[in-house]
Amino acid sequence: MEKITNFFKTFLLFELVKGMALTGRYFFARKITVQYPEEKTPQSFRFRGLHAQRRYANGEERCIGCKLCEAICPALAIKIEIAEREDGTRRTTQYDIDLYKCIFCGFCEESCPVDAIVETRMFEYHGEKPGDLYYTKTMLLALGDKYEEQIARDRAADAKYR
Amino acid sequence: MINVEIDGKLVETERGSTVMDAAHKAGVHIPHFCYHKKLSIAANCRMCLVEVEKAPKPLPACATPAADGMKVHTHSEMAVKAQKGVMEFLLINHPLDCPICDQGGECMLQDVAMGYGGTASRYSEEKRIVMHKDIGALISTVEMSRCIQCTRCVRFGQEIAGMMELGMAFRGEHAEIMSFVDSSVDSELSGNMIDLCPVGALTSKPFRYTARNWELSRRKSVSPHDGLGSNLAVQVKNNKVMRVLPVENEAINECWISDKDRFSYEGLNPPERLTKPMLKQDNKWLEVEWPVALEYVAHGLRQIAHNHGAEQIAALATPHSTLEELYLLQKLVRGLGSGNVDFRLRQSDFSLDGKQAGAPWLGMPVADINTRDRLLIVGSFLRKDHPLLAQRVRQAVKSGAQANIVHASDDDLLMPVANKAIVAPGELVNMLAQILKALAAQKQGSAQGVENVTVGSEAAAIARSLASGERAAVLLGNFAQQHPQATQIALLAERIAGLCGAKFGFLGEAANSVGGYLAGAVPFGPANEKQAKQGMNAAQMVASPRKAYLLLNVEPELDMQNPQQAMTAMYAADMVVALSAYKHHATNYADVLLPIAPFTETSGTFVNTEGRVQSFKGAVKPLGEARPAWKVLRVLGNVLDVQGFEYDTSEEVRDAMLSGQNVADKLNNHIEGVALQAVAGGNSGGLQRVADVPIYSADAVVRRAASLQKTRDAATPCVTMRGSELQKLGVQSGDAVRVTQGNASVRLTALADDSLPAGVARVAAGHPATAELGAMFGSITVERA
Repeated sequence: MEKITNFFKTFLLFELVKGMALTGRYFFARKITVQYPEEKTPQSFRFRGLHAQRRYANGEERCIGCKLCEAICPALAIKIEIAEREDGTRRTTQYDIDLYKCIFCGFCEESCPVDAIVETRMFEYHGEKPGDLYYTKTMLLALGDKYEEQIARDRAADAKYR
Repeated sequence: MINVEIDGKLVETERGSTVMDAAHKAGVHIPHFCYHKKLSIAANCRMCLVEVEKAPKPLPACATPAADGMKVHTHSEMAVKAQKGVMEFLLINHPLDCPICDQGGECMLQDVAMGYGGTASRYSEEKRIVMHKDIGALISTVEMSRCIQCTRCVRFGQEIAGMMELGMAFRGEHAEIMSFVDSSVDSELSGNMIDLCPVGALTSKPFRYTARNWELSRRKSVSPHDGLGSNLAVQVKNNKVMRVLPVENEAINECWISDKDRFSYEGLNPPERLTKPMLKQDNKWLEVEWPVALEYVAHGLRQIAHNHGAEQIAALATPHSTLEELYLLQKLVRGLGSGNVDFRLRQSDFSLDGKQAGAPWLGMPVADINTRDRLLIVGSFLRKDHPLLAQRVRQAVKSGAQANIVHASDDDLLMPVANKAIVAPGELVNMLAQILKALAAQKQGSAQGVENVTVGSEAAAIARSLASGERAAVLLGNFAQQHPQATQIALLAERIAGLCGAKFGFLGEAANSVGGYLAGAVPFGPANEKQAKQGMNAAQMVASPRKAYLLLNVEPELDMQNPQQAMTAMYAADMVVALSAYKHHATNYADVLLPIAPFTETSGTFVNTEGRVQSFKGAVKPLGEARPAWKVLRVLGNVLDVQGFEYDTSEEVRDAMLSGQNVADKLNNHIEGVALQAVAGGNSGGLQRVADVPIYSADAVVRRAASLQKTRDAATPCVTMRGSELQKLGVQSGDAVRVTQGNASVRLTALADDSLPAGVARVAAGHPATAELGAMFGSITVERA
């Protein structure tokens, strides 16, 4: 019986019809292709993109240099040096994230006791030469200032699940 | 012995011990905060509550005596409920600022909270706040709100350090740990409170906010400072020493270290650290490569040996140098044909040389000090020179021993002293002779040579005390060893010890005071080489200036018995080669500076005062071009074509030196062939200098430790005299005076201290303010400035 079916399949182009049927189905289906960069896919408020360092409303940086993010980072991408600031508070003198090493796991964000280091929805960044993707404290703080509104909205949306 | 059952495990424990001790034996951990094995029991944190069968309520394990047949449950429902309750109470007022707390990661409260703490607090009221206090440059109390009132620091002060500098003031919720109004914590052991504090209330000020403890790697080392040889854990990050902690060694430092050991790491990398070999050319310092510098040194030494004779070459080393360094230095100098090598820089009487049966040492293991019942301590600034040995003496006194002091200064030892004889330096020998005579009368022993002295009441009391004991010890401190009549003092002390069956020992001044003898860095050579080239001792080397000096770690103006003479010799020399970790005063008189590594950057060995050989490895890489001194000396030996310098590791050097020798056999304080001189009584008239070496000026590293230099012990030295004698000069306490010795004088502040003997001016040595003065002993002039 199997032999007979195979015999007819060889010249009736059954596979072709089957394949074209699939193509046909998608031809008439609703299109999901996104015309990036004109169009963009929707993002979760938990999206883990480029890092940023946040400030409080009074302009004071949030980071207290506890080094928990540095300790937990599985890719060893974070480097922190700390010192006592003139006002006696504990602050970072250096806070670098090497985005070449970063695997965007979000552990740094999870471990931060003061929500200082966060991952933004920003994923469109690039570096043209080695070192371009080595983000320093000033760069991270600038990103935080730039995206603060969005960051705050995302944290608020996520708060009820925590 | 009684049997106790802990969590179903049967353990045998001593009668009178506590449930906590029994649990330790059974290997069961009971959470605790206030309990510490070396401190008294306070039972005020209540964390160690356990269930004891037939007891109606949970009992604190640390304060409950174990009884025969007792059944204890440490993890039963009742015990855990009690422990969780206590934990909740402790956390009510504890700020949860672990992320910025330096104790975070090594905090007992944090650890125990992981096991017994709740996930959320039920307490929503305001937490209590304790204002911070300033208690000095070493301990930070900025976050006293973290305190859980375990009182470990208070008990440490009372029981171990000997002075209660911190106390608990107020009651209930207002209870605070504080020092007396506006006073700082000045104990030379204060740093241990940082270790003891189970939370982050007392933290290290120099270490504050510099690193997290999980980033630090821990390397074992040995203290290069006092003669005890405390075991240290040097904690390192990014090839830099971040802090130093004790390593527990019951036989040496127990679980303590002195502040000098703990905070001296700040002096390892000061701005004046020498990192490249330097040569002086036309009065300008040039940085050069190692081969150039070594060739220059070799050429210079060869020239001087050729033109003026090898005996014109002299080598001085500090007793803080390692065994390997001292051994290679003496080998190098002897290889060049000179015997002028010495490490006993502050000694002035060398007539014991070759007269002792071995290297002078403590005469007993360090731990035996605790078991002595009578002590005679001669000429020692005990607390400042040997902080942890003083602590052991304090423990001995606490368990009933009588401490007797013969000294030229009545410093507070923070312990009850049975008898003391405070006499001028010139009277020290006489006083010991009196004690010997009185003791001989009581013990029917020989008073030969001291028949003529008149026994005073102080000496008689000391002799009575010594005669009544069973396990006595006679110990000679730094002051006695540096005394111009050190031989006579040692001889009398040995005879006193012989009469009362006491141990007789020398308190080693520095980390390698015993090792220096073993290495043969003395004019009479190593003990196992009888044919060693003989030479001059440290005092002779500067008294009759040599043409060339090799200085190993030495800063002559601070480290020598007579800085004035030493500096004259240095300036007059044709060639001075300074092997040092620092660009110090030698830039003025030296021709070559060779950068060597301090103790954290080199491997080596220290032989402590009880003769314990302790080797250690470098904790970090040498800074810049600096190299371990043993390597420098080894290559210098090769460049100079001296035989026997084919060592590849410091262990080889050590083994070559100690091979086939039992160090214990080399230690012997017995004196032979020295006669007791007729004891001269009376003062020669005029003021006598009493010179201590301030605790934070004793060696090159500690002199540069910034925080230690801010403490009260590091204050600029004053001239201390009796009030009546100051009055005679027309000077008030606090006025400036001119102090003259030899051809130099310095301006210092006068201070009245009526506990000093008459005719004595106490002026510290080893400090830049007094570096221009002359010998540590002898006459001194004080006049109104």
